[in-house]
Amino acid sequence: MSTTATSQEDEYRWHTGLKRAHGSKDAVEFFDVHKAFGRNKILRGLNMGIPEGKISMILGPSGTGKSVCIKHMVGLLYPDQGDVLVHGESVPNMEDDQLFKMRQKFGVLFQDGALFGSMNVFDNVCFPLRQHTEKSEEEIGEIVNRRLAEVGLQNAHDKMPNELSGGMRKRAGFARALVLDPDIVLFDEPDSGLDPVRTALLGELIQEIHEDMMNEAQKRGTPAPAFTLITHDIMTARRVAEHISVLWKGRIVESGPAAELFQSDNQFVRQFLAGESQGPLGME
Amino acid sequence: MVRNVADRAFLPTKSLLEEVGDMMILTGKTIMSALRPPYPYGGEFVNQFLFALKLCWFPLLVSTVAFGYGAPGLQAANFLVLFGAIDRLGGFFVLASIREFAPFVTAIVLAGVAGTAITADLGARKIREELDALQVLGIDPIKNLVVPRFLALMLVTGLFNVYALLFGVFAGVLATLVNQAPLGGFWANFFGQASLTDLWGSTLKTTLFGAIIAIVCCYKGMTASGGAEGVGRAVNQAVVIAFLGIFAFNYVFTQTLLATNPELANLR
Ligand SMILES: Nc1ncnc2c1ncn2[C@@H]1O[C@H](COP(=O)(O)OP(=O)(O)OP(=O)(O)O)[C@@H](O)[C@H]1O
Ligand SMILES: [Mg+2]
Repeated sequence: MSTTATSQEDEYRWHTGLKRAHGSKDAVEFFDVHKAFGRNKILRGLNMGIPEGKISMILGPSGTGKSVCIKHMVGLLYPDQGDVLVHGESVPNMEDDQLFKMRQKFGVLFQDGALFGSMNVFDNVCFPLRQHTEKSEEEIGEIVNRRLAEVGLQNAHDKMPNELSGGMRKRAGFARALVLDPDIVLFDEPDSGLDPVRTALLGELIQEIHEDMMNEAQKRGTPAPAFTLITHDIMTARRVAEHISVLWKGRIVESGPAAELFQSDNQFVRQFLAGESQGPLGME
Repeated sequence: MVRNVADRAFLPTKSLLEEVGDMMILTGKTIMSALRPPYPYGGEFVNQFLFALKLCWFPLLVSTVAFGYGAPGLQAANFLVLFGAIDRLGGFFVLASIREFAPFVTAIVLAGVAGTAITADLGARKIREELDALQVLGIDPIKNLVVPRFLALMLVTGLFNVYALLFGVFAGVLATLVNQAPLGGFWANFFGQASLTDLWGSTLKTTLFGAIIAIVCCYKGMTASGGAEGVGRAVNQAVVIAFLGIFAFNYVFTQTLLATNPELANLR
């Protein structure tokens, strides 16, 4: 018994769980969330906040449950234990109608793009607008053209998803996630499968869009948009992140404003943010 | 140790029972969702209906004629010729083709051709996270994907049953002719035995087979996991479970129908 206790302590040696103040409200909060698939424990007491009005990043080794986290936020997965709050409302306790309404706050880019295989790129990006707004086809066309041009897909309107490269599917999914001007944007690895230049441009695009949407939200008096990115690209993190949460083994190692995390003296955080091979994280 | 072995032997059964429970729940949700407004599934329903029609009409034609001629046709004719009672083939075809074989062949062809296509399609969408994306965009997959498939498959299997009946009986005619017997006896005996209950019983049964196929195949598709390989596994399991379900349900249905309509058990 004592051996398991010490090895547990060992396992979470670097998890200070330190939440550095970021000075704004949390749009999404995780409280002691546990989630297992069969015997495979993925989230093990996750406490995390996603601040409003900031571009935040969830960083962590492959397979720690970052995509699982996103699915908890939109109610596609339910925690075995613990609670997930979106703008203060508990997602696992919502009725179906509430849940559908809550989901309209979100724009989600799934890890594989998740385009609808039976529709071309243009219709894919139109889909949320046709579904949730009363806009005319002309207005919709205008918005969609602008979004597709932003991601450089103006010439791919009538391509079907299976004719696109992985990076192009990602960019189309990115455009689709933004057409409704959502309050909370979740991007699961928007930059994987892109070349370095496009990755850099995408980072800038995210910053621009975020700024635009902040101004819009201020005018309308709606909650400031929270952007959440999952990425493995430390350069992107350095360039665009304002808030960082480092996730490992189903818990937060440390979270807080990006500048402070890059100065952290936690060994795991330092290793991960520098991308070094020496340190607490191995191949395992 | 013993516990481990027991676990390994019984866990698959346990999870199968759990899955059957989940499928029952899915059936309930599907029916509720089909009845409750709004009804956005019309277009998809027509698509699925035509799709199943297009895929199945030819395989079903070949299967019913070949099976009807080969199994009940030749075998029963050989047997009846012994007694010089080949005209009895007509009555036998009511029992064999209308009550059992036509529904079975229809269900097997539909599950194998249309059901697998449904599982593969939904499974691929699940793996590509399309189903997740749909839900996040406020589309209920049960109402928009399962309900139209459920209704379309019920209708299509019910209709195909009549089609299979016709070709099955045609196979009986063929077997009579091959034995150089006149058709008058066949038809007289056929209509002497056949009743309206036979026809609606057969059609109702097949319609419910369609429901079983649709639920099993949709469930398996929507719960596929583990990449392309997982879709293959789901298709395989869908067919196996659908067949088991059909056979089990057929027993219950036949037993009930005979018990409630005792005249059906009289052979004239
Ligand atoms: N629906 C599911 N059923 C069973 N296991 C799952 C399911 N979804 C995720 N997992 C498991 O959860 C773990 C974490 O998956 P997740 O996709 O969240 O990782 P990730 O942190 O996003 O990794 P990556 O950076 O590689 O995308 C994996 O081990 C995966 O096998
Ligand atoms: Mg992931």
